[in-house]
Amino acid sequence: MSQYDVIVVGSGAGGGVTAAVLAEAGKSVLLLERGRELSTEAIGRDHLRNQRVSLYGHNAGPDIDGNPRTSDDGRVIRPHEPGYLNNAACLGSGTRVYAAQAWRYMPQDFRMASIYGVPEDSSLADWPISYDDLAPYYEKVEWELGVCGDDRTMYHLPKYKKPYPMPALPLPGKSRVHLKGLEALGWRGLRMPRLINSIPYNDRPACAYCQHCFGFGCPNDSKNGSHNTTIPRALRSGNCELRSQVMARELLTSDAGSVNGLSVVAADGTEEVITAGVVVLSCGAVETARLLLNSATRREPNGIGNNSDQVGRHLQGHYYPGASGLFPDEIYDGLGPGASIATCDFNHDNGDIIGGGMLTDSDVCTPIVVWKSQYPPDAPRWGIEAKRFMRENFRRINDINGPVHEIPHPDGRVTINSKVRDRYGIPVAHLSGTTHPETVRTASFIHERAREWLRASGAIKVWGAAPVLRLSGGQHQAGTCRMGEDPATSVVDKWCRVHSQDNLFVADASPHVTNGGFNPAETIMALAWRTAENIVNSW
Amino acid sequence: MLEPRQVLTLQALVDTIIPEDDYPGGWESGVGDYLLRQLESDLRNCLTAYRDWLDALEIEAERVFRRPFASLDLESRTALLEAIEQGDIKSAWSVDRATFFAQIVEHCTEGFYADPGNGANRDGIAWAMVGFEVTA
Ligand SMILES: Cc1cc2nc3c(=O)[nH]c(=O)nc-3n(C[C@H](O)[C@H](O)[C@H](O)COP(=O)(O)OP(=O)(O)OC[C@H]3O[C@@H](n4cnc5c(N)ncnc54)[C@H](O)[C@@H]3O)c2cc1C
Repeated sequence: MSQYDVIVVGSGAGGGVTAAVLAEAGKSVLLLERGRELSTEAIGRDHLRNQRVSLYGHNAGPDIDGNPRTSDDGRVIRPHEPGYLNNAACLGSGTRVYAAQAWRYMPQDFRMASIYGVPEDSSLADWPISYDDLAPYYEKVEWELGVCGDDRTMYHLPKYKKPYPMPALPLPGKSRVHLKGLEALGWRGLRMPRLINSIPYNDRPACAYCQHCFGFGCPNDSKNGSHNTTIPRALRSGNCELRSQVMARELLTSDAGSVNGLSVVAADGTEEVITAGVVVLSCGAVETARLLLNSATRREPNGIGNNSDQVGRHLQGHYYPGASGLFPDEIYDGLGPGASIATCDFNHDNGDIIGGGMLTDSDVCTPIVVWKSQYPPDAPRWGIEAKRFMRENFRRINDINGPVHEIPHPDGRVTINSKVRDRYGIPVAHLSGTTHPETVRTASFIHERAREWLRASGAIKVWGAAPVLRLSGGQHQAGTCRMGEDPATSVVDKWCRVHSQDNLFVADASPHVTNGGFNPAETIMALAWRTAENIVNSW
Repeated sequence: MLEPRQVLTLQALVDTIIPEDDYPGGWESGVGDYLLRQLESDLRNCLTAYRDWLDALEIEAERVFRRPFASLDLESRTALLEAIEQGDIKSAWSVDRATFFAQIVEHCTEGFYADPGNGANRDGIAWAMVGFEVTA
């Protein structure tokens, strides 16, 4: 007899939904999370150590010591350092501190190879499912977790069956300026949907419009993440046990095409074997690949699900091209979270450019964010003039930027480096390769549109670095356990079940074949909902 | 840690990078506290470079002005740092030491604009100056 019906590994965007759906359907669920349960006070408001500005550390994990990754240039990278491609590690993971932008992908985003063809050397492919398959689950996420927005403005999508349950957040001064810019250009705009309560919802209050949304915990619990929506629901059902600070080490199999459970290690070093009828991996794209690759069996000596050498490949995230502008008047009025207006005019149909991406204005920027990343390169950096520049212009600067739909390369990948171990002695993730050069071409095109929008909004000076070829991943990491019909070119099937195992599923961003030109969390949640519901239906 | 004389040099340096105007200079706002705390923790690896750099700055001040850096007025201190930044150096500095100035500038301004919990930006003075208000 197994100890649990299901073990869900990881409590982030995908894991939270999975635990809730399965526990509410009456399954006994064990939810494992390697990170801590963090209070908003513990997350704090350190402007130099958070999930947005990680100069000397961060606030939502993983711990800086004992969790390294390595890269092709021989570096052993700590979690807050560039190149680690961190998202987070705590109860709720990224959703604990995210900006809560809540996007549906577009129908075209699921059909990239059919629409654009496959560029040489890239692994661009269609999803085995369509927008219509996910639409009902997008709606569930919007209503059950709580998304605010205005469906009538979502001109780039098929008509919604149900509107958002809450109206869009009010427009800050910066967004009103950019709305004028859109009008001047003749571009269409929409109101950004967010996983934030704009009015009281699910027994929690409305947004307080604070200045510490992106990268921090919410001061009045009005931001909806796994920690305050799906996980409490799972626990309330009475069928879910949560164990934090427990790390899944290795999957255990019967060696006959099914898994029995997991070996785990707790923060105090205690080792344990836990059995279950079904295992769902929701560790995030890098760590889910790592766990599979670290689970070698006789039948699958290179890791479970990896007989076709697909686990860990096609690692994607989002290039975030953009630009900054200096405005003649003060445009910052302090109203958080900030970004409120977006255009989807450049997600597709851009001539010979492949794909594209959504563009929006930026969230509230702390003074250190402006100083480090929005400061004009030719402005004085020290002395009385530098101080004066910040004083006069902090409220006059804003960014336009957005996530670009990446064109994946099979060599942008996660492998295992057994020479370097984490605090538990587990071989770490090694990151190598880059995205496909077509991503850079698309990102450069979007970068130019950002400049255009800023100028049309009245900016008197516009600056920003052009995109260069690199590996993506990070907060928007995806793609490492690609979904597909053919086990030779994918890891999971269209129900996110690992091809080679009857009872092993992936419910995080790893199955994303491509990652859309939008922030991924709502899609991760919708896909997890569909996967979990199917597990219940076919039990 | 830094010698007392090096702290004096550092104070004058911080107040050249972030001088006083209608708002306090870097030192008064706590950038010194921030730096000294960081040099014992996150910036531990920079401590030796800081010491060497501050000593080299004194030698340069002696060579150019025949006076300690801290006794110079803001204009002279600024001129000296501009020269160092441009590599126009009279004493025996390594190039590294000249470029290390850019890092010191970043460390100082990090403290100045970060949250008061980091030790500088005392009473949120830098935020009041730029108009960053925390409302909730
Ligand atoms: C500051 C910030 C802002 C963001 N803003 C947005 C936004 O506005 N909109 C948006 O759509 N997205 C945003 N994101 C990204 C979003 O949070 C992620 O896309 C999302 O959380 C990924 O979901 P996932 O289920 O794939 O993995 P995750 O949410 O990362 O969950 C994985 C969890 O698994 C745990 N885990 C990993 N390995 C193991 C193991 N072996 N054993 C036990 N536990 C393990 C991890 O600790 C982690 O908690 C933001 C992220 C950050 C950090």
